[in-house]
Amino acid sequence: MSTLTFGRAINAGLRRAMDNDPKVILMGEDIGKLGGVFRITDGLQKDFGAHRVLDTPLAEAGIMGTAVGMAYRGYRPVVEIQFDGFIYPAFDQIVCQVAKIHYRTQGAVKMPITIRVPFGGGIGSPEHHSESPEAYFTHTSGLRVISPSNPQDAYTMIQQAISSDDPVLYFEPKRRYHVKGEVDEGSDPAASSMEKACVVTEGSDVTLVTYGPLVPTARDAAVAAGDDGVSVEVIDLRSLAPIDFETVEASVRKTGRLVITHEAAQSGGLGAEIAASITERCFYHLEHAPVRVTGFDIPYPYSKLEFHHLPDLDRILDGVDRVLGRPNSLSGLER
Amino acid sequence: MAGVIKEFRLPDLGEGLTESEIVNWHVAVGDTVELNQIIADVETAKAVVELPSPYAGVIAELHEQPGTVVEVGAPLVSFEVAGPAGAPPTTGGAASAGDTGAPAKREPNLVGYGAAVEKGGRPERRARRFASQLLGGANPAGGSALPGLAGIPGSVPMIAAVPAVPARPAVEAAPVAPALESAGPRPAAPGLPTVSGERPRSTPPVRKLARDLGIRLEEVPGTGPGGLITRDDVLAASSAGAGGSIAPAPATSSPATSSPAGVQDTGRETRAPIKGMRKHTAAAMVASAFTAPHVTEFLTVDVTPTMELIGRVKESKAFAGVRITPLTIVAKALCIALRRNPTLNSRWDEAAGDIVQFNYVNLGIAAATPRGLLVPNIKDAQELSLMDLAGELTGLTERARAGKTGPADLSGGTISITNIGVFGIDAGTPILNPGEAAILAMGAVRRMPWEYEGQVALRSVMTLSLSFDHRLVDGEQGSRFLADIGAILADPGMVLAMV
Amino acid sequence: MALKNIESVPGGPDGPPPGLIQLITADGIRVPDPAYDPLVADVDGAALQGLYEDMVVVRRIDAEATALQRQGELALWPPLLGQEAAQIGSGRALRRDDFVFSSYRENAVAYCRGVDLTDILRVWRGNASSGWDPYAINMATPQVIIGAQTLHATGYAMGILNDGDDAVAVTYFGDGATSQGDVNEAMVFAASFQAPVIFFCQNNHWAISEPVGLQAHVPIANRAPGFGIPSVRVDGNDVLACLAVTRQALARARSGGGPTFIEAVTYRMGPHTTADDPTRYRDANELEDWAAKDPLKRLEAHLDSRGLFDEAFTAAVKAKADAVAAELRAGCLDMPEPAPSDVFKHVYSTPNSWLDRQQDHYERYLSSFADSASSDGSS
Repeated sequence: MSTLTFGRAINAGLRRAMDNDPKVILMGEDIGKLGGVFRITDGLQKDFGAHRVLDTPLAEAGIMGTAVGMAYRGYRPVVEIQFDGFIYPAFDQIVCQVAKIHYRTQGAVKMPITIRVPFGGGIGSPEHHSESPEAYFTHTSGLRVISPSNPQDAYTMIQQAISSDDPVLYFEPKRRYHVKGEVDEGSDPAASSMEKACVVTEGSDVTLVTYGPLVPTARDAAVAAGDDGVSVEVIDLRSLAPIDFETVEASVRKTGRLVITHEAAQSGGLGAEIAASITERCFYHLEHAPVRVTGFDIPYPYSKLEFHHLPDLDRILDGVDRVLGRPNSLSGLER
Repeated sequence: MAGVIKEFRLPDLGEGLTESEIVNWHVAVGDTVELNQIIADVETAKAVVELPSPYAGVIAELHEQPGTVVEVGAPLVSFEVAGPAGAPPTTGGAASAGDTGAPAKREPNLVGYGAAVEKGGRPERRARRFASQLLGGANPAGGSALPGLAGIPGSVPMIAAVPAVPARPAVEAAPVAPALESAGPRPAAPGLPTVSGERPRSTPPVRKLARDLGIRLEEVPGTGPGGLITRDDVLAASSAGAGGSIAPAPATSSPATSSPAGVQDTGRETRAPIKGMRKHTAAAMVASAFTAPHVTEFLTVDVTPTMELIGRVKESKAFAGVRITPLTIVAKALCIALRRNPTLNSRWDEAAGDIVQFNYVNLGIAAATPRGLLVPNIKDAQELSLMDLAGELTGLTERARAGKTGPADLSGGTISITNIGVFGIDAGTPILNPGEAAILAMGAVRRMPWEYEGQVALRSVMTLSLSFDHRLVDGEQGSRFLADIGAILADPGMVLAMV
Repeated sequence: MALKNIESVPGGPDGPPPGLIQLITADGIRVPDPAYDPLVADVDGAALQGLYEDMVVVRRIDAEATALQRQGELALWPPLLGQEAAQIGSGRALRRDDFVFSSYRENAVAYCRGVDLTDILRVWRGNASSGWDPYAINMATPQVIIGAQTLHATGYAMGILNDGDDAVAVTYFGDGATSQGDVNEAMVFAASFQAPVIFFCQNNHWAISEPVGLQAHVPIANRAPGFGIPSVRVDGNDVLACLAVTRQALARARSGGGPTFIEAVTYRMGPHTTADDPTRYRDANELEDWAAKDPLKRLEAHLDSRGLFDEAFTAAVKAKADAVAAELRAGCLDMPEPAPSDVFKHVYSTPNSWLDRQQDHYERYLSSFADSASSDGSS
């Protein structure tokens, strides 16, 4: 066991994946000498060489499209998108090519590409640096989408993503990069699945589902709710596509109440998918309609306002109160 | 120099940083510095950077030593600068958290405030305007069914008038089988209890009904597909007294048993053989109705004081966890009134040619159970305090709901109560439980305009319906008995005048 | 916003502009070129006859497929009529271990790669999203998103570099694609990494209804040097010249010289696809002008001038083309129908819980019909 920050844990996972498979190459802007703007790839070019850690021209479609060609050639590219909001130029290559080539070629050509995306807000940055675009990709068939919430998962899941023969979007909660945690660097990534959700806090009254940056917030909310006499079960989804609905379902069958929280905008988002799927699966167990506590349907706001946009402990607990029928900010509006 | 002290806090020097290390100071306390003069070298996770002074002034304090790791947002340097106290800072001092209403814990003194540091300490919610209601307070959404939280199921409907339950064909109440619902854990067969640890399976409208009726779905056997609890199941449980609600009198209604054996459904009519509990109940009703000459009297009472009493009792520590409902008070009142009117507690023994007057009260409570109409009774109810009586009522109804009513519960009754109020019914003409001299039906508690202290006021009003065996009880005795009960409900203090 | 000089863009129908590489004129006359002659010194009469046969066969494939579309056997077909020389000349220059990333019109290139004829039609009959296994013929599934494949070729070439191999990635695209960001980014990447990739642009003058002048205000090949990539304009209807310039680019790439941009000036004589009507936007005279420069006719004239176009040869070529057409038609009509459950196949390379559930539910749905023979529903 060693104590690593979230960011160093990703770095350690990348290093191990590159050690184990010479076909693993890293591509991205500023990832070489600089080590990436968040220093996630720090030292890797020095140790593995410029042919394995490629500083690319500043063109996201170009990075993604050449990664497709690399994968055609048998490589396992790991692409860094510098910031969430910079992924859109690569959108066509991701959804039309990366996601679909395996299907298009009837399985002949695999696309084992890992797309690392620092995402989410909370660091006081300007526009395009704090977005949560995951739902665009969970809506795209052919992609797998995951998001670790702690250093151990960051370390393990990056290796699992790289070893996946399917393309994986690996969303890194950038405001948690400096969180420290115990990491077992000897653990075998093949011994677990990156697609299994994790019950991080057990509870019996309400199921609170989240992922990535809001997992610590949700855990705090569960503690505070416990002090109010409400037992909240927190589920860290880890995988956003596919979602481990079995774990969520088992929890909701027990609690009868579901709150989903994410930073991304509400309408058409993952929360909607989770609410719909769980309602379909556990309708007869529900005591209240599922409630979403999410970012608003707005462009990411300037940083002085971002904590109005981002769900926090109190907004999450307001949602918990709603599913319990306790007094909440919408009391009187709901029937 | 009569200056103002300005504090400079460590900004996020890269995107999303939480801390930086002071490499060295270029200035010392007492030094005069110009705006943008380099005052320190600071190393972040990304780079070593120079810190330019945000003020022109004199260094008043260096808060940290070289080699120290400082959190973003922590005080770094204090300057003494010229200018009036309270003047806004020349840089950095952006809107405070208070201005924006953002969470108080987050105080971005700078625009680039970095990622939040994981702090120790127990997370807490901010106080809400309605915080006082959070624990044990009134619940606008209806009785909370949350285990361990305030609000006893059933308490709300027992206070508020319950709307009449619409009669629905069973076929509507039972949803279509969810053939493709998850293959996850589920009850093994219809009618069995739900899998341990899972919520009972039902539909939102049925949950609403159960909540309104004060029924705990955990204790209702589901007869629908896969053990689904249907509307009929909840109604049956309610009739059986589940959750403390009491069944209607035998004469008013009795839900069909759920056994489908031998049922023939032609679409326009459904024929089922007369057998089992139905047959037994029918025989008992006929015997009673055509043996004992029934008289029924009605009395409508302002029970507002009783409802207030219930509220006070519930709040008292002594009654914590005890279910007190109008039925509890009516049962107690009946026992007290019986002492003054003992003929109501008697039996016509045709075979022996005797009239048997009981010196004890075995109080029957009519209940529709999964097995059909039953009238289990509370032994020696006259001896029980209000608290004990409440406990016995709860135990009796729970056993009836669970289908565990034993033969001893059913035998030896001396007088009965039926609660038709849970169905929104005001009054009826109950039929005597065979062998007993009287049965009292309690109607719904309604908020109604009523004469009160010379004015018309909105009061809680209930109608009592008393049927008695005219062979045993004269009109005067029956009327006094009913009037006594009414007097207690209208003014519980009247008990002092009766005992 | 006026677009000026569209009509006067070089490469138009007024004869070969200066700088256009041409080894056989439209009249079939071999013109010497000291720079390119050595690259095709090995192409003897028999080899020229072989190139001619290729062009006849692919034109026949094109005609047969167009007929199949008109007969309701194909949903759509993108004819290559007029572009045979550009595709055969470049396609025949490639080595087996080179890798092609093309658009949807390069059926003649696929033919050169040794594709099974039936495989050419699978996509257009609606039986598959890809006709062939890309690794079987070292040619990627034809790309529909305009220009996207140029990045794939560049990435593949970067992989070749990393492997220390001397194979080359070749990407085909049209004049319209040169406006796409992907193509321009591909050239940036190719130049920066000196990747062994050939950008083979068939300027066929039309992007559906948009003339090349709408895409480029200078000769397309002139753009490449701005990226640091050497380029060449070649008469795309001259199969020998196309072979020569492609060989030159391949040699450069194999020897570490990096990418080359080839603009093959040709003409799409047919519609964009069988669903298109070029008479709505194109002057009939223009077609006539280009018909005079037909790639087959000029090679026919050239072979004839050398006594290589006798009756035995033409009969053999015709027999080959007829046989190919018959095989193509039979392969089309005999193509097995996909099973309903194939709709879920290959979305992922390993099981996916969301999709497994949808498939399970759909199979239950299909088997719920009284006349369903199996859970597949295929009866």
